[in-house]
Amino acid sequence: MAQRPNIKIECRNISKMFLTEQYTINVLDDVSLQVEENEFVVVLGPGQCGKTTLLNCMAGIIMPDEGKVLMDGKEVTGPGPDRGVVFQQYALFPWKTVMDNVSFGLYIKGVDKSKRNATAQKYIDLVGLQGFEKSYPHQLSGGMKQRVGLARAWANGPDVLLMDEPFGALDAQTRYSMEKETLSIWEKDKRTVVFVTNNVEEAIYLGDRVVVMSCMPGHIKSQYPIDIPKPREYTDPRFLEMRRKISNDTELSL
Amino acid sequence: MIASEFFKKGSKLFLPLLSVAVCLSIWEVLHLIIGGDFLPSPYQVFKEALRMFSVKIGGNTVWMHIFYSLRRVVIAYLLGAATGLPLGMYMGWNRTFDKVVKPVFEVLRPIPPIAWIPIAILWLGIGEGPKIFICYVGAFVIFVLNAYTGMRYTDPLLIAAARTYGASRRQQLFNVAIPASLPSVFAGVQNALSMSWMCVLAAELVGAREGVGYLIIQGMDMYKPPMIMVGMIIIGIIGASLAVTLRWFERLVCPWRRDLT
Amino acid sequence: MENVCKQALIPRTPTPYVLQLKASAADNTISLISFIVFLIAWELICRLGIVGPYQLVPPSQLVSTFIIKLTEANPDGGTLFEHTETSLLLALTGFGAAVVIGVPLGLLMGWYKPLDLMVTPVFDAIRPIPPIAWIPLAIIWLGIGLPAKAFIIWLAAFVPCVINSYTGIKLTNPVLTRVAEIYGASRWETFYKIGVPSAIPMVFTGLKLSLNASWTTLVAAELLAASQGLGYLIQMGRRLSRPDIIIVGMLTIGLTGALMSWGLNLIEARFASSKRVRL
Repeated sequence: MAQRPNIKIECRNISKMFLTEQYTINVLDDVSLQVEENEFVVVLGPGQCGKTTLLNCMAGIIMPDEGKVLMDGKEVTGPGPDRGVVFQQYALFPWKTVMDNVSFGLYIKGVDKSKRNATAQKYIDLVGLQGFEKSYPHQLSGGMKQRVGLARAWANGPDVLLMDEPFGALDAQTRYSMEKETLSIWEKDKRTVVFVTNNVEEAIYLGDRVVVMSCMPGHIKSQYPIDIPKPREYTDPRFLEMRRKISNDTELSL
Repeated sequence: MIASEFFKKGSKLFLPLLSVAVCLSIWEVLHLIIGGDFLPSPYQVFKEALRMFSVKIGGNTVWMHIFYSLRRVVIAYLLGAATGLPLGMYMGWNRTFDKVVKPVFEVLRPIPPIAWIPIAILWLGIGEGPKIFICYVGAFVIFVLNAYTGMRYTDPLLIAAARTYGASRRQQLFNVAIPASLPSVFAGVQNALSMSWMCVLAAELVGAREGVGYLIIQGMDMYKPPMIMVGMIIIGIIGASLAVTLRWFERLVCPWRRDLT
Repeated sequence: MENVCKQALIPRTPTPYVLQLKASAADNTISLISFIVFLIAWELICRLGIVGPYQLVPPSQLVSTFIIKLTEANPDGGTLFEHTETSLLLALTGFGAAVVIGVPLGLLMGWYKPLDLMVTPVFDAIRPIPPIAWIPLAIIWLGIGLPAKAFIIWLAAFVPCVINSYTGIKLTNPVLTRVAEIYGASRWETFYKIGVPSAIPMVFTGLKLSLNASWTTLVAAELLAASQGLGYLIQMGRRLSRPDIIIVGMLTIGLTGALMSWGLNLIEARFASSKRVRL
């Protein structure tokens, strides 16, 4: 008897529009998505098709015009520590050191200093930034900054991690290594992840399931469960087959 | 190798000295052209400076005069910061509060601090009161404006990030908005100081018995251009020193500002 | 907006201006109420005698004084219009002269190194001395009267013009200059067609600071040595123990200054709205 999968976070019929002087822009149109517990879902789509808006709705940073976001069955009304976010532009606090940034969530929760520093240290080590605890963000490279962003979100122990094109601003080499690292952290410390990207390879490398979104207006086109065992090889024939399938799909939708 | 390094270190000192030499030469030339009565030579000014520092003027030594002026500036400046920064920040943070305070502030803002002198004298008499009040008004307005701008233009991304960690509104204010607005505050801090320095001068020119403004007014009353010029140079040096001190302090408080180092 | 897929764009009728006004009216009601409360409190404080008539006058009296002063020259020797006119003329003359000399000087200094090296030491020596500190010297040189005041105002307005124009042109994107060089433009052409246009935003910042400085310095100069003008008006108000004249004067000073700034902003919007360099 198969166990019913536990749905951690879901979007039901989300619609969102923005108003400018002359136009109503339909950013999201009737988007529904269900994410199971500890599933790594990747939302793949070209630029400007509402992926970030969808993620922000799930985070609670913006509210959808229609539909709702449910977390563990309860409606989401605003941001909260149960849904951690990793931002594309890092959003690190420039006046805080790496250690203070990473332990921020715990500080807000009121965890006392020794405990939160210990937890933060664990995640700083996990992302490979040992020795940089006292550095300020402006002293770090882009890759390092995003690692701090990752550690900060992860250290707070959220049930769901929402990652908004976190590696978009990085060069290819750093990107590959960050993808590897994200996967290894996730293997060690499993939680539900919704990862947004516009890069097909990244999507297939990371995701248990790839959800393809398309433009005009933003909606879910198709979904692809990825059955290849992790860690995956970019040159594996199954990987390449998947890549071909999905690339064709996204191409048609542009 | 050693020579080029020495030259680099030397040129840092060398160039300002060269500019000083250039200025002095231009000054001397102008003096010779315009004539001793109107424009004293650098040497005359130097002699006058020596004289001034060795006597009492109007009952106080020059150092005492400088102290009086500085004291007024510092008191007014700190008061301005203590009242202006919180007000400006809260106005930037709380829209409703902003709307309540804005009308009165916007009416008072365009009035130059110096225009407050007559009414300050009417209210507070002739003494320390009006002088400190004028400097306070000048500094206060600048502090409010800069704190307001800093707060209003805090990167909304940082606030959004804080919210995703469950920060309450109050926590957002103290942990994100205020630190994020500090750079803008510091941009205004220098302006507020130079404004205070200017205001104390103006107030002293209008009526004072002590202070650097008094020194130059004395020079005018006694028809002694060298004395005026010594006073002006003192004023310039102190103004510049204040700015340098403030910059040093800013570097201490905001170690994450890379554009200061 | 160009990136957004076209099919998602649905044309709409813009919110009617009336509704926009309605929305902002709700915002402004709080401000209005707050201001009215302030005025009422002020009126009461004066009427109830909490503050004496020689220190503060109620807003109602201010209004009547204002109306009287519009046409009545007593007791200080000029109507409000005459004083304002005098002050404006002086301030704008000093400001104009400073802009005409200061902006080109700053731009040229920022572009041509030899000029920079020549002028900067002198400039840096003069700069720390507040313009007001020049008043005694100016009075000895030029006597008590218009020339001394004009000189001080000019000096106060001059410095921000130079500094901001200098900074503005120094911030010219070096990539653009190099492009011009590659296309064979002379140093002067590059200055004129690339450097200057890209410095315009900062030049306008300098103009605003300069206008502010000239207005402020004007008030200071008139406080100390004048027989007409708004600064003289408020000084007379103090001598005559007439706080109503002082306050009316102060508000006129503030209002005039604000109007000039607003005018400058309009000019900037007209001429400097596009931040792109036009080649």
